[in-house]
Amino acid sequence: MNPSVLSIRGVSKEFISGVRVLDRVDLEVVEEETLVLIGESGSGKTTLLRMFNGLTHPSSGEVCIHDEPVRVKDPIDLRRHVGYVQQDAGLLPHWTVEENVGLVPLLLGWEPERRTNQVQTLLDLVHLDPERFRARYPIELSSGQRQRVAFARALAADPAIVLLDEPFGALDAITRHELQRQFLSLKERLKKTMVMVTHDVDEALRLGDRIAVLKDGRLLQIGTAPDLLNAPAHDYIVQLLRHRSHGDHS
Amino acid sequence: MTRGLHAVCLAALAFFMLVPLPAFSQDNRIVVGSKNFMESKLLAEIFAQLIEARTDLAVERRLGLAGTQVCFEALRTGAIDLYPEYTGTGLVSILRQPPTGDSRTALNVVRAEFLKRWDLWWLTPLGFENAYALAVPRSRTDDFPLRTISDLVKIAPSLTGGFGYEFINRPDGLPGLETRYGLTFQRVQAMQQALKYQAAAAGEIDVLDVYTTDGRLAVYDFVLLEDDRQFFPPYEASGLIRGSTLAEHPELGLILGLLANAFDAKTMRELNYRLQEGGESPEVVARDALSALHLLTGDAAGNQPVPHREGLFAYAWSKRTTLMRRTIEHLSLAGLALGLGILLAVPLGLLLERHQTVAETVIRGIGLTQTIPSIALLAFMIPVFGIGMLPAVIALWIYSLFPIVRNTYSGLRDAAPQAVEAARALGMTEWQILHWVRLPLAAPVIMAGVRTAGVITVGTTTLAAFIGAGGLGVPIVAGLQMANTTVILSGALPSAALALMIDGFLGKVETWVRPRGV
Repeated sequence: MNPSVLSIRGVSKEFISGVRVLDRVDLEVVEEETLVLIGESGSGKTTLLRMFNGLTHPSSGEVCIHDEPVRVKDPIDLRRHVGYVQQDAGLLPHWTVEENVGLVPLLLGWEPERRTNQVQTLLDLVHLDPERFRARYPIELSSGQRQRVAFARALAADPAIVLLDEPFGALDAITRHELQRQFLSLKERLKKTMVMVTHDVDEALRLGDRIAVLKDGRLLQIGTAPDLLNAPAHDYIVQLLRHRSHGDHS
Repeated sequence: MTRGLHAVCLAALAFFMLVPLPAFSQDNRIVVGSKNFMESKLLAEIFAQLIEARTDLAVERRLGLAGTQVCFEALRTGAIDLYPEYTGTGLVSILRQPPTGDSRTALNVVRAEFLKRWDLWWLTPLGFENAYALAVPRSRTDDFPLRTISDLVKIAPSLTGGFGYEFINRPDGLPGLETRYGLTFQRVQAMQQALKYQAAAAGEIDVLDVYTTDGRLAVYDFVLLEDDRQFFPPYEASGLIRGSTLAEHPELGLILGLLANAFDAKTMRELNYRLQEGGESPEVVARDALSALHLLTGDAAGNQPVPHREGLFAYAWSKRTTLMRRTIEHLSLAGLALGLGILLAVPLGLLLERHQTVAETVIRGIGLTQTIPSIALLAFMIPVFGIGMLPAVIALWIYSLFPIVRNTYSGLRDAAPQAVEAARALGMTEWQILHWVRLPLAAPVIMAGVRTAGVITVGTTTLAAFIGAGGLGVPIVAGLQMANTTVILSGALPSAALALMIDGFLGKVETWVRPRGV
């Protein structure tokens, strides 16, 4: 098995209001795997994701990258080396596609020429014609195109780790399916370590190498799609799997 | 992306540097002030022209200051050297002594107290009193002959009194009168000075307060009731001058002494009539009055008649130099206040966005300044900053803050939350988020606040006239006193045009700072 890249050890999170969103969660993400965190709203999945790049910190327990606690890392430097995609793309509306994709290289102080080349490569990678799209503003793109730009932006500085917060959540069914297909082929080619949050069980089964099921802040089960389908560890997981559409998950 | 905003800041800064600073009075300059009514302006103009004719001193006029408090504070703090004042006002309004005593006692009390407390000198009185009196339209006396205030007491409970706001509140006005005579009216109506006469003539009110030298007494057929219990304190007109000015220019005492006992009440009523009803300017009437006394030297006596009651455009054209100067003053005041407003309010908005827990409280506090009536705010300024451009700019500046702070704060706080979240997640520092994301996205909202503040400031600047800062409020205030619509409009129309222009221009800037893609 590949070595562990990300690890969560005994992590709990309580907000100031006293609400407990994570309760003693342990999990590992190994190199080059895609781990999907699935659960309904309030299950704590997004909070967990945001701990990997220091946007949130646990109340107790430890979050580590390559066995080094996130808490002691410089958060700005950490985030520049971890890709991040969010549900609504989150593109800067007043920056062009080229400027948006080149954001992290700019923060890292790359030369303009290197930035331009990288933007070109990445737009090709996400199937957006650089000549047509580089000068456009987000408002001039469809939601699917915006999400591709967000992917390109997350990958721009070639991070080893990519975090994805419901990246297909705001798309229509056809676009979502197409982007998921391209995501799978990129995943094979790029060999990144990825953590993705979703509430869509089909998406989880389709894209995840392993799937972690969260409910009310507790980790119920973690395993591959066949693990979950063949040996669900909890009634909730049985129910959850019932919700999948009978389609082409593999 | 932020280039537009930088340019705006630079433009504001350049404008701020180019605006001339207020001139401070120099040694060979005498600043003559007056209150904002015609007789005070006339007397100040008489002082000014006499000094100009008989000395080498340059005279600067600060006419039309808003009332006794403003004038007196201006004199005490040295913002002006000299202004016309009445002994009764000195006794009651300034010294806050009970309204008693005959004219000689009153003069001696104010002389002694003003010298002792502030080194301010009362000149020898000019020879007339402008005291309060109660008047009744003659038609009202047909069925009940009235001669004295004591006569009035008997029928007052069935009458309506129409009195000025000041008269209603002053101890030597209505409150004291009621106590001394046991006077009670059926109803008391607070009215603006200029409207009382018409209201009385139309039978809307039965009794009104008048000034004994009011020019309108020459045309309205009113019975002035005798003050048979000597209630009204003597209001002898005089000049009030700073001791330090007299010490520096002793000749002023002698020259101004030429006006001792120079005018009687009848002469003043006629001169006031020319101002109030004839629409003549104080300069012309003052020159005629001095000429009649043979106090002007040769060439200064000649005058050109000033046309009046002409069309608005003809009037505005004849006054174009003055109006242009007033417009420039107006723009300078408003621009300076707005520029300073931007310099404080935008950084404050930025700061508050970083400290959101206190932000609403602070902004609400600043919002309270909007509820202070502007004339009251100007009055608060005087003890601290004197009169002229400085207090006006400070007052206007305070008014400009709220819309800019409010919009800067809200604009930054609400700027594209998803984009801000993504920027943070990808490793922008808070400073970079502010500089690259929040500020450019909030720029149109901030500019909208600046635009609101700009229009408010240009409008409010008309009030600067009350504290001698000039601007287009000067013709508006003068016109209101003369009840001359032409004169009012000669200030009001350019002021409205300026507000529209500023709004249009800042609207353009607002579009211009809006980043592409938004």
